[in-house]
Amino acid sequence: MEPLLSISNVSKSFGDLVALDQINLEIRSGEVVGLVGSNGAGKTTLLRLMAGVYLPTSGKVSLPDGQPVNKMRQSLGVVPESTGLYSRLTAWENIRYHSRMHGVSDKDAWARTSKFAEHLDMLDSLGRHTKGFSRGMRQKTALLRALAHGPSILLLDEPTAGLDITSARTVRHLVEQLKNEGGTIVYSTHQLSEAQQVCDRIVIVHNGEIRADGSPEALLESTDTTTLEEAYVTLTKDTARPRTEEDGKEGRFTGWWRSFFTPKPPQVTMNEVENDE
Amino acid sequence: MSKVAMFRVRAIAKKEVIEFVRDWRTIMAIIVIPLLMFPLLFILFPVLLESEAAELDALEISIVVQSNELDPSLEDAIVGAGIMFELESLSNLTTLSEPGEDMDRVRNLSVDAVLRIERVNTTWNYAILHLSTSERSNEAWNRLLDALNQWEDEEVERRISDSGLDVNATLDPLRWDGDVGQSDVATSGEQAGMVLSLFIPLVLAIWTYSSALQPSIDMTAGERERGTLEALLCLPCTRLELLLGKWAAVATITGVGVVLQIFGLLFAIGYLASSSLIGLPDLSITAILLLITAILLFAVMIVAIELALAMRSHSVKEAGSILAPMLLLIVFPALFTQVINLDGIESVWFAIPVVNILLALRELLMNRIIPGHIVIWAGTSLLYAALAAYYASRQFGREDIVTSLS
Repeated sequence: MEPLLSISNVSKSFGDLVALDQINLEIRSGEVVGLVGSNGAGKTTLLRLMAGVYLPTSGKVSLPDGQPVNKMRQSLGVVPESTGLYSRLTAWENIRYHSRMHGVSDKDAWARTSKFAEHLDMLDSLGRHTKGFSRGMRQKTALLRALAHGPSILLLDEPTAGLDITSARTVRHLVEQLKNEGGTIVYSTHQLSEAQQVCDRIVIVHNGEIRADGSPEALLESTDTTTLEEAYVTLTKDTARPRTEEDGKEGRFTGWWRSFFTPKPPQVTMNEVENDE
Repeated sequence: MSKVAMFRVRAIAKKEVIEFVRDWRTIMAIIVIPLLMFPLLFILFPVLLESEAAELDALEISIVVQSNELDPSLEDAIVGAGIMFELESLSNLTTLSEPGEDMDRVRNLSVDAVLRIERVNTTWNYAILHLSTSERSNEAWNRLLDALNQWEDEEVERRISDSGLDVNATLDPLRWDGDVGQSDVATSGEQAGMVLSLFIPLVLAIWTYSSALQPSIDMTAGERERGTLEALLCLPCTRLELLLGKWAAVATITGVGVVLQIFGLLFAIGYLASSSLIGLPDLSITAILLLITAILLFAVMIVAIELALAMRSHSVKEAGSILAPMLLLIVFPALFTQVINLDGIESVWFAIPVVNILLALRELLMNRIIPGHIVIWAGTSLLYAALAAYYASRQFGREDIVTSLS
């Protein structure tokens, strides 16, 4: 299959922290790629590089013809982890704002939105302000917004995180429907079962490195395990690092000031605790 | 800029303004309050003062007069001032101002004041004991002073007359001939311009800064904190388009706020003075165009600086704690500029940031069009505005704006 997006030898650092190290990845047309990893593994950073929000410290994220990725934003649909909805706008106004920025007419955007909204049971809520929306409704609106301009690649950052079982199921069904229609999707999650259910290909990201890249069957075979969970544990034996992207950017004085006014936890041994009891 | 880019900038600005208009609290804070602030201050405040003054006038004031020899004409003057009094003899004191045994009754307001007066040869010595923290006692003090001044004037006139001199010629040997107002060669429009130039620049500067504050923070650090910025950065618009769209929105909101506040201010002044004290300033078309240019350049710079600093901040709280104290950087130059003498002013003043625009506004409101000054303030303001815009674009180009502390 033709690659839609190529990531070649990409590293990304924030201060002293190397968030991603020498990443090579190709996203091919029509596949659903699952980015699986723990919190702080580098999944969101990788997605932000694909979306052109971050520029690589070294290496290249490019289109097949060698163009830089920011040219590709026109054909990207992105659902960030925070959904990013404006609470004083209605769901449709949120969707229309983004589709207008993509240069899509309101009529075309509405046609696509209403088609998917019906599937997500959101048609009646499109005229409502998003302020009172539940997490599930916000996630669905963000999905509709990402789909309204007909993107070539859909980037989903933990789209089912925090959703109830029914909403998560609806979102997964939509992804499966898009997959069946030939859509290309990058799906970030830390749930292996979800990745197995939805994705053709699983990329395991750990401590800023790609530890495995292949179909679920290939992962099992390469790790000589019987379940994906076992395969994941085998591939990520070293301790996961804490989530420190923001800490890496914090000014030295700011950090020092905060720690100056933060009391240390009590230095009590377990023996002392037991004696007190 | 391409047509598509213009469309995106307009879409961003439109969305920001719509969001702003839908929040009635911010509308109240930035549009309604400035519109009503000066009318309320200039119209209701004097009404309140008048009613308080009328209340004081209606007070029945009772004092004690301590004297061994009270002049009957002074007695009449005290009664004429609406004061009831009891006469007591004056005891021996080092000075009349020493409260002595009268301290308690003045402090507990059993009397509103005590007037002590004694004749010393051909003059009179006096003192008034009063409690300055009491409205009643202060009123007694004021009425007593009026009565004493009136009696003193009569006494002076009587003594001059007794000496065989002409009272008017002695007391008023130098007199203005004719109408004082007629002798001022400045037109009423110029006088109005002079009066307006003393506060319009101040109001404009402070209000431009403070009304841009909330929308600047909301559209940058607010978006960052709410997590809406990341979705926006994934769109096919450049960071410059994003900055321009947000700048246009903040400038529109600020512009409306400033115009409404000036309108409210002029309405209040017009009402207060019934259009007789202050008229419309005489301004040429050139002065008006230059005024608008100066305000625009100032707004470009201020909004760009606020957007840049707010975008640097990780949260609304952080942005507020940086931008709010910075208002002092506007207030101090604005106050300072009010006292600078414009006659023969050195040109270098017109190159200092903030001060240059405030001085320009003062000159232009007085319809003084001095090409040398215009070139300097316009040139330097353009430079400062460009630098502020460049700084803002640098901040909008930062990668870390996508992350938030929350």
